[in-house]
Formats: sequence, structure tokens, C-alpha cells
Amino acid sequence: MPLSGPFLQELERIVGASGLVRTLEGRLVYECDMHTFYKGAPDAVALPTRTEEVVEIVNLCRRERVPIVPRGSGTGLIGGAMAPVGGVMIGTNRMDAILEIDLPNRCATVQPGLINLSLTQAVASRGYFFAPDPSSQMVSSIGGNVATNAGGPHCLKYGITANHILGLELVTGAGELVRLGGTAVDRPGYDLLGAAVGSEGTFGIVTAVTVRLLHAAEAVKTILASFTAIEDASEAVSAIIAAGIVPAALEMLDELMIRAINEGTGAGYPKDAAAVLLIELDGPAAEVEAQGERAARICWERGALEVRVAADAAERALLWKGRKEAAGAVGRLAPTYLLQDAVVPRSKLPAIMRELIAIGARHRVQIANVFHAGDGNLHPLILYDDREPDQLARAKAANEELLRACIEMGGTVTGEHGVGLDKAKNLPLQYGEADLNFMYRLRRAFDPDSIMNPGKLLPSHPACGEGFRPARPRVPDGAWI
Amino acid sequence: MSVAGSSIGEAFVSIAGRDRVRDDFEALAAATVDGLRPRWVVRPASIEQLSRVLALACDGRLGVIPRGAGSSLELGNPPARVDVVLELAELDQVIEYNPDDLTITVQAGISAGALASLLAPRRQWLALDPPGIAARTVGGIVATNASGPRRMRYGASRDLLLGVRFVQADGVVTWGGSKVVKSVSGYDVPKLMVGALGTLGVLAEVTLRLHPLPEAERSWLVLFENARAAQVLVERVLDSPLQPSRLELFNERALRLVSAEYGGVGVAVSIGSVAEAVREQGERLTVIAGSSAGRLVALSEAFWSQAESAMAPPQGATVLHVATLSDRLAGTIGAVEDAFRTVAPRADVRLSGCAALGTLRVLVSDAGVGETAAVTTRLRALVGEVGGSVVVARGSVELRRSIDPWGPVEPCAFALMRSLRDEFDPGRVLNPGRYVGGL
Repeated sequence: MPLSGPFLQELERIVGASGLVRTLEGRLVYECDMHTFYKGAPDAVALPTRTEEVVEIVNLCRRERVPIVPRGSGTGLIGGAMAPVGGVMIGTNRMDAILEIDLPNRCATVQPGLINLSLTQAVASRGYFFAPDPSSQMVSSIGGNVATNAGGPHCLKYGITANHILGLELVTGAGELVRLGGTAVDRPGYDLLGAAVGSEGTFGIVTAVTVRLLHAAEAVKTILASFTAIEDASEAVSAIIAAGIVPAALEMLDELMIRAINEGTGAGYPKDAAAVLLIELDGPAAEVEAQGERAARICWERGALEVRVAADAAERALLWKGRKEAAGAVGRLAPTYLLQDAVVPRSKLPAIMRELIAIGARHRVQIANVFHAGDGNLHPLILYDDREPDQLARAKAANEELLRACIEMGGTVTGEHGVGLDKAKNLPLQYGEADLNFMYRLRRAFDPDSIMNPGKLLPSHPACGEGFRPARPRVPDGAWI
Repeated sequence: MSVAGSSIGEAFVSIAGRDRVRDDFEALAAATVDGLRPRWVVRPASIEQLSRVLALACDGRLGVIPRGAGSSLELGNPPARVDVVLELAELDQVIEYNPDDLTITVQAGISAGALASLLAPRRQWLALDPPGIAARTVGGIVATNASGPRRMRYGASRDLLLGVRFVQADGVVTWGGSKVVKSVSGYDVPKLMVGALGTLGVLAEVTLRLHPLPEAERSWLVLFENARAAQVLVERVLDSPLQPSRLELFNERALRLVSAEYGGVGVAVSIGSVAEAVREQGERLTVIAGSSAGRLVALSEAFWSQAESAMAPPQGATVLHVATLSDRLAGTIGAVEDAFRTVAPRADVRLSGCAALGTLRVLVSDAGVGETAAVTTRLRALVGEVGGSVVVARGSVELRRSIDPWGPVEPCAFALMRSLRDEFDPGRVLNPGRYVGGL
């Protein structure tokens, strides 16, 4: 859908020539996020610097019925920050200021383009941090974290992004600037803030974020335990949780992943290990000490091959090294992979791992696993060679089957990456017509003309754009006169 | 179209059975809400019955008041209509308890006390502790976003509600969220239902995140001459590695009722962890208290139940929920006491506040409607400067008619709220008029 000359002139008037990307090669930079399957370049990219400009852009697009796609750093994994039907992309990169740091109230207000880690760096010397830590935190924007409700290894203890957002300034799809929440809690009325976090740009575009800051823990202890069977590692996970310990992170790697990492980075995991468990505890020193000992004992009791405890920050970094380089290390096994993000109840981990192996065998694909074991959030990497179309088809089939298996075990299709274009079609696995219909109508309140990030988060309905229509219960006969 | 009352009553009976539909004088009088007597009290035994009752009420354009334990019926505007009081206490089944996953799915009418008894043998609990919790229903706690001192550590309903099954005004049974501790699939519908007073749907079933009970817990009270000195302690504790599970301020009037030791303001601190860490953090608290010129007293667990009773409203009392900023809490305590001293000198004013969150619970007895309304208005102006709020969480119908019990809502946000209400309950079946701005 090419944009008209007058439209582009108006856009340029709002953001200036330096804030507008119109050339093909310029726009192609924005054609996908980190899920490179899905490509769609916007017809123009606007890079505003102020909230007022965003309001003007949204109103312009609304008037002309031009779709809008918000984008932060483009590090999403779901086909979210890309333009399947063209339109205007609004990039928030130039809105990256810290507006206020309020340590007495343990919060900060920032613009959406601020890089996640920059905020923690700004307050670390005072002993505070911003808890959400997606592995992209060195490059991903806080606005993007809000849009996808991003998680990270440490959300087992600290929760996902939603738990740390106190307020949002949002330009809705109707072009209204609205403030939701704020530093003071418990504002009367519906928790629109809670609904807006994780709405993936379908309600509007965020122009400021008030976040909660946490006091840094006094002590951190990292333990690496390796096991000869993934069942033993899974049982250790359950036993740690059952002992009343809530680790900051509880990560697991499977055999294939261990091999890839050992060959790649030389993290030095035991050769015979079929599972590696990474346990991180943080909090007051005495608590961390006592719980660390207990967690290590549990691992030994469950037949651990080896238990290593990091003595200092350098050793801790070494234990984490393999985990952090996992996705890169699988490059040694196959040229590319499909990354999954489904969740099962933690107690179903052994069952889903068995199922995963069976699915891999059925579809003749290798599946390497690195996951957030503490909350049952799987990240299987389904390996394939993209030069062979047949392999991709098999990888996709395995992927779909895996999702279904997770849902059957009581899980969910995405734990922290989000829905985007990638999983919109999968939501009906988890939600019925009435549930999806409710979500469509919720979206319409914020974006009456459906211009915000179309095609994302919700599946398109075969019959009409109105969404699913649930059947109403039957009213007894004779109630009417 | 008109609907005949007797015919609707018969239809309710055909849905729920004769013993679950009451229209006798005694039952209706007992179910009166803000002076309005319902035409029926219906007590569904299943979600299916609940769904059909609502579908019928919707077609008949009836006003429905969902009711759990009935402890929050004095919250919000007096309803515009009361045709059906919908009693939910029989929807009290445990659907699925997964101790290994620290999750549970229950029907919303289960009492929090019954739930706690079920979880205790596994040393787990639902980490919510609003006043009077034992008698309240889980659905009522979620629908009113009720919380207590431990919210600073564990969060409130929005942080613990993973999934929710609710029945929309037209009877459509709807599910939102998931049954696992981590999910971002689709909109976060559960958060929208928290604190919504059932106006977007009646809560029927909830999936909740549970927590392990700490191995050990101890509490201390630090006493100060005035609120300003207490604020210094609060800030030092919050800016330290201590991880309290409760950090609650009490004014002198409240303290006198619960503790032999009292001062102008007291800060009660709980530390829950492994025994060794509790002891060690206790020692550090002692040091911080000393350097803040506070007097430290060790507390028994009984303190908290006594505090809960002291802060429980007697008949006719008013409860205000004040939200401000954490660093303004002490000042706000002073402002509340000053305001009542000026306007209603004979009033009995008890205060407790969650120091980390900047929220205050104000329990007022022996104050007139006009006096309490005047103080509320004054406080709204004060906390409004920082985006705070004052909500009448409980009060007489006269008070809630003389002032808006919710207070102002930002106009753009309110426009969105109204469009949601119009979308999901255009006929205003559920709690008509009770919610913010008369929604």
C-alpha cells in the first residue's frame, strides 16, 4: 500500500527529514525482527523524539486508515515489529531518555526506547536494579519489554515485566494520549495498565514507562549441577521448589545442548552429563548460604554427577557462560533452528522431555533444549538445514506437535516471548471462541479502527474481522411473555 | 418487551432448583444492599447455573449484585438497581491443586480460610492477607483487590492471579490467562478482572500462584515519637539488604489497642526466611532502629491478629484507603490525623500503612457523614498532587451518596473504562452504578 505524496509530506513535517526513512534500502532494515521468517517492510519509518509527535503521527494514520507498527530495538522473537501489510512503522530508538529516577520511592520514569540494561547501569552504583532481564537486555528497549511482557532467567523469583511496570503513557489507536497507573498504586478503576502490558503494540504506542526498581541483593550464589539423566535433574528442580526455596534462576540444559556448548565455548561441562542444572540464589547472605547448601545437597541426593559452587563473580560468570552462549553454540549442529517458548506445569517437565524426544524421532529432527526449568518455560531449538525444504517442513511439523503436547499437559503457547504474527494462529489451541471474542472486543476499546499492529497477537477470523462469536447460554422457555 | 416477575422467578427456579431461589420477605430483607431490597436471592450450585441465571437476568434487564461473603457490600456507589443478589458461596470446589507447581485452581466462592487450611499441610499459602481474610471468599478478595501488609513482598491479586473463568453479563462463560506460573499468550485478562467488582464479569473460577511458607518468621515493633522519625527508619530499612515481609506503620490510637508498648507511631517489621537469616536480619534491624532513635520491642505472632482486629471496622465505621507515595507516608499520616482533629475532634481514627507501597488504611468511628466527607475531600487534594487516591472502602450509604466513594479518575482513562463497560455490559446488569464514575 504505497503512501500518498501529501501523506509523506505531512509525516515529514511532524518528525523532520532526519526522522523519516523512505528509501527501499532504508526500509528493508525494518522488514523483520529476530524471527527472520516473517518479513514485511513498512512503507515508511518514522522516528519521533517527542510524545507530541507520536500523537500527531497516530492521528494522521488514523485519518488516512494507514496501519501503524511500533518498534523498539527489533530484538523480538515473534514476528512482532514487522509490517505484514505495510503502513507506517514508528521506531522509538530516538526516545531513549531517562526522565526521572526516584530512589526514595524505588522507581524511575523512562522513554520507551531506553535500552533495558542502561537503566540498571544508571542506578547500580546506588544499589538498585531493574529486574526484567531478557537475554537481549543489552540491546532490547524497555518499550519493547513492555510490549511483549518480556521475561528472562531471573523471572522465576522476580516475575516478568508486568510485575515491574507502575505506569504507562500510551497513545491509543484512537490517537488519545492516556496515562495508566503511575508511581502511586491502587488508582480507582480497571487495571488498564495490566491489560496494556504485553499487548504487543495492538492498543497503541507507549511513550513513557514508570518502572519499579529493586534493591540489589546482598549476596548471590550460583551452583552448577550435572546429572546423567534429565529425569534426575527434573526431580532435583521439584525437590528444590518443594523445600521452600525460590531461586532467582533455575535453568536446565539437555545432552545435545551440553555437547554443542562443550564443543563451542569450552564451558567444561562434564562429558557424561545428560543434563546440567544452573541454580542461582540471591538475597540476604545468611539466607543464600543456608539455601545454597540445601540446594546442593538436594542435587547430590538426586544423583548428581558433579556439583560446582561459584566462589566469586568471575566463577559465576564462567558457570553462566555456557548457558548464555547456548543459542549461538547450536550453530555447530545445524545452520538454523526454530525456537519454541511454550510452558508446561513444572511437574510435567520429565513427561514433556520424553514427549519431545519422541516428537524429534517421529519427525526426524534434532531438538536441543535450554530452558527455564523453575517455571516450566521450555526453549527447545528444533534444528534444521534451511537449504533443504523438506527439513523445514519436518521442523515445522515437530514444532506444532510440541505446542499441542504442551497445551495438553496444561501449559501455554508462550511464556515470555509473546504471540506476534508467529503464534497468533496457535491461540485457539489455548482459548475458546468466547475467550478470543473477549480479547477482540478489549482491543477495540483501545484501537477502534484496527490500525495498531494489525495481524499480531490475535488470530484473524475466517468469517469476518469482528472476531469470534460465542454462543450464549439458553434462556429457559416461558421466561418471556 | 416486558417480562413478568413471577415468570422470571419460575425461570430462576427451573435453572437452579426451588431451594436455591428465595423470594420470601426474610431472605430478601437479609440481602438488602444499601437499603434496596432485591426481588430474588439466587444461589447457583454450578458455573453452568450461574451462566444461565445471568443470561436470564440480562434478557430481563435486571440489576445483579454478586456476593461472596458480603464483606465489601459497602464499597462503591450505592447500586442503581438491585433485582437479584447472586450468592456465590456455594461455588466453593477445589478444581485442581498442584503442590509441586505451586498452583491451585478453585471456584471463586471458596473462603480464604478454607483454602488456607487446605494448603497448610504442604506448608504453602496464598500470599494475600487483607483484614478479615479468613471469612472472605477468594473471588471477593480478587474482585475488590484487597490486600494486606505482606503485599510488599508477595504482591497483590494482580501478581498472584494466573487464570480466571468468569461469566459475562450476558451469561457467556469466558476464560482468560493460563494455569501455569508464566504465560504471555494473549491479553492479560486476569489483571483486568482484579478490582473490577465483577462489572466485566462474575468471577467463577480462579487459578492462583502459591508460595512456600517461610521456615521461620519473627516480628519487631519500633516505636517513635512522631511519624517523621518513623519515616527515617522505613527509608533506612528499604534502602538496606534487609528483606522484610511486612513493614507496617501504626498510629498511636491503633497501637494502644494491640500492644502494651506504644508511642506516637510504631513500625512493625516481620522477617521471614531460614532461621539463621531471620536471626541475623533481626540483629541488623536492631542496629538500624538504634541509629534511628527508635525503641525496639520484640513481638509475638499474636500482635498481627490483634492488629487485624483493631483495624476491623465495627458497625457503622468508615474505612478509607489512601494511596500516596512511600516517601510521603509519614506526612500523610500526620495530615489524616490533623484533618480529623480539626474537622471531627471526637472521631476515633486508627491508621495502619504499608510503608513500602505508600498505602494507608484509615478506620474512622464516631465521625459524622459531613465530617468524614470533608476530610476525604481534603485528603484527595493532598495525595492528588502525586497521583494518589482516597477510596471509601466501606462507609454508610449516606456518606457514599454525599461524596464520590472512588474519587476522580483521569478523563482519558475513564473514557476507556466506560467503553469497556459499554462493550461488555451495555445493559448494566452487573453491579449497576457501583463502580468508578457510576459505571
